[in-house]
Amino acid sequence: MDQFLQAVINGIMLGGFYAAMMLGFSVIWGVMGVINLAHGEFIMVGAYATWVLNKEFGWEPFYALAVVLPLMFVVGYIIQLVLINRIVDQPHLVSLLVTFGLAIIIANAMKLAYSADPRLTETGFAGAWELGNVTVPVTKTVILGVALVIMGSLWAFLHRTKTGKSIRAAAQNKQAARIVGIDIKKIYALTFGICIAITGAAGTLISPTQAVFPFMGPPLTLRAFAITALAGLGSIPGALMGGMVLGLVESLIGIYVSGIGTNLAIVSAFVLLVVVLVTRPQGLFGGLRPMEEAQPL
Amino acid sequence: MTVLADVAARPRGSTGRKIGLGLLLVFLVVLPLGTNIEGQTWVTNARLFQFTQMFMLITLASNWNLTGGFTGYVDFGHAVFFGLGAYGTGILMTQQHGIQWPFWAAVLGGAVVAAIFAVLVGFPTLRLKGPYFSIAMLGTFVAMREIIRVTKPVTGGGVGLTLPPYLNRALFYYLTFGLAVLVVSVMWWIRRSEFGSSLIAIREDEVGAEMRGIDTTLHKITAFAIAGFLSGIVGGMWAYQNTFIDPDVVFIESRTVELVMMTMLGGLGTVAGPVVGAATIYWLRDVVWAAFFDWHLIVEGALLIGIVLFVPTGIVGMLGDRSGTSLQRLWGRWLGSRDRPGAGPDPPRAAPPQPQGPQGDAGDEP
Repeated sequence: MDQFLQAVINGIMLGGFYAAMMLGFSVIWGVMGVINLAHGEFIMVGAYATWVLNKEFGWEPFYALAVVLPLMFVVGYIIQLVLINRIVDQPHLVSLLVTFGLAIIIANAMKLAYSADPRLTETGFAGAWELGNVTVPVTKTVILGVALVIMGSLWAFLHRTKTGKSIRAAAQNKQAARIVGIDIKKIYALTFGICIAITGAAGTLISPTQAVFPFMGPPLTLRAFAITALAGLGSIPGALMGGMVLGLVESLIGIYVSGIGTNLAIVSAFVLLVVVLVTRPQGLFGGLRPMEEAQPL
Repeated sequence: MTVLADVAARPRGSTGRKIGLGLLLVFLVVLPLGTNIEGQTWVTNARLFQFTQMFMLITLASNWNLTGGFTGYVDFGHAVFFGLGAYGTGILMTQQHGIQWPFWAAVLGGAVVAAIFAVLVGFPTLRLKGPYFSIAMLGTFVAMREIIRVTKPVTGGGVGLTLPPYLNRALFYYLTFGLAVLVVSVMWWIRRSEFGSSLIAIREDEVGAEMRGIDTTLHKITAFAIAGFLSGIVGGMWAYQNTFIDPDVVFIESRTVELVMMTMLGGLGTVAGPVVGAATIYWLRDVVWAAFFDWHLIVEGALLIGIVLFVPTGIVGMLGDRSGTSLQRLWGRWLGSRDRPGAGPDPPRAAPPQPQGPQGDAGDEP
C-alpha cells in the first residue's frame, strides 16, 4: 500500500511536469496547425540555459526562469518569423518535416557547443518530507508548484487578457479574426514566442531531476504528442488530466513491472497514444471535436 | 476499376531513356571488375562499399515510398523494419542459441519477422490518419529500440551482437545491387498494376476508394508488409556486412529521416524519385561530410528544410515526369490541408476532403 501511495505521489508530480511540458506543443498545434517536432529540443535548450546560469553564475535553477522565459520568448518569436510563418496552414507533412529538420539542427548544434555529456543542475530546494511511510521530495514538489503556476497563468492569459482572446479568436476562425482587425502574423509570432517560452521553462524545471543532454528531446516530444492525444488540442484542463494519466501510468509501471522499469515508460506512452487515437480520436477529455479540428482555447 | 486501369496505363520511357538506363546498369554491373585493374585508384574496395551503402538506401527509400508516397501514409518509423531484419538475421546467425543459420536463411527469416511485425503493427496504426500515423510509427520505432535493449537474453541488450565476419566487398556489392534492381522493378510493376492503382486511389481519397469496392485495410496492410519485408532484407544484409549490431547503431532516428528526405528530394510517389533522391543525397552527403565534418548533421537538417520549402515536387517532378502531377494533387490535398490562404473564405479546419476522384483522374488523361 505504501509502495502504491509512493508511486501515486511520484506519478502526480511527474504528471504535473508533463502537463506544463506539453502545453506549448498543444497550443501551437491548436492555433497554427503546426505540429512542432522540435518541441523536445526547445525544452533541451531551456535546460541548457538553466545549466549555464547554474554552473557559471551559481544561480538557483528555479530563479533562472527569470532569464529563460524572456530568452526563449525571443528565440521563439524570431524562429516563427523566419521559418514557421512559411509553414503555417500548410499540409501537416510539411510542418512535420520542417520541424524535424529544425530538431536535428538544434540537437546537433547543442552537441557541438556543449558536447554530449549529461549535465545536472544543483538546486537548493533539496531533501524530502516524510509523511508516514511515504517521502515527498522537495525538488519535485517545487517543480509541480511552478508547473501549476505556469498552467494557471497561461489559462488566465488566454481567457482574461485582450491579447489572449485574440489568440483564441485566431485559432477559432482566422478569417473572421482578420476582419475584426487582428494582425494574424503578429498573433502567430506572439503565440509561438509564448509557447516556446513555456517550453523552455519546462527545461528549467526538468534540469535538477533529469540528465540534460543534446538528444533528450525526442522522447519528450513523443510524450507531448501522447498527452495532446489524450487531452484534446489546446485544452489546458485536459492537459493537466492527460499529464497526470501518463505520469501515473509511467510511475506505476516503473514500480510494479520489475526488471523493466523506466526503459519501458516510453513504450507505455506510445501504447497509450495508439490506444487513445484508435478508440477515441477526439481525446479523453477534449470534448466532442475530433483531433483534426482545432479545439477552441 | 477501368478508371483506375486508365490511370495505371502511363506512357513508358522514351527509347533514349531506355538506352541511358541500360548503359547505367551495364556500368554498375562491370564496376567491381575494376578493382582488379592494375594502377587505377578509383574503383577501390572502399568505393564498392560506398556503392553498397547507396544501393541499400535506394532500396529502403523505394520501400518507404510504397507506403509514404503511393499509399499516402507517411511512416516516420520505417527503420523499425530495417532494425528487425538486422536483429532477426543477427540472432539467427550467431551461435549462442545453439543453431547457426546460413546467411541466406537468416536474412529471409529476419525479413519474415519484419513483415509479420508490419502486419501486426499495421492493423492498429494504419487506421490512424495523417500525422497521427506518422507519430504512432515514430513511437513504434522508439519503443522497439527499448524492447530490444531490454530483452537481453535474446538480443544481447545494449552490448549488441557480433555476427561472423565475412569480408567480400564485391559479393555485398552484387547482393545489394541485385536487391535494388529487384525492388525498383517491383515498385515499377506495382505502380502499373491494379494493386498500385488501388494504393494511389487510397491516397487520393480513401473513403471514395472504399466506396468503389477497394478493400482499403487489406491493400494498406499488404503494402506495409511488402515494404517491411523488403526493408527487413536490407537490414539483414546491413547487419552481416557491418558484423556488429546494437540498439544504438541499428535504431537511429536519422535513418528514417534520411529516407523521407531522399524520397522528397527525388519525388514523392514516383518510381524513379527514391532512386534519384537516394543517389543524389548519398553522394552529396559524402561531399558535405568531407567539407563540414562536425557540422554535417546540421547541414543535413538545413537541407531537409530547404528541400521541403523550395523543392516540394522533387527532382523528378521538376523534370516534368507525368507522375509528378499526381504528386501535386497529393500535395494540395494532403490530410488536414486547406485551400490556399486568402483564396476565398476559410473552410472549417477538418473539412473532409471532397470526393473528387473522377475529376482528379480526368486531369491525368490526355
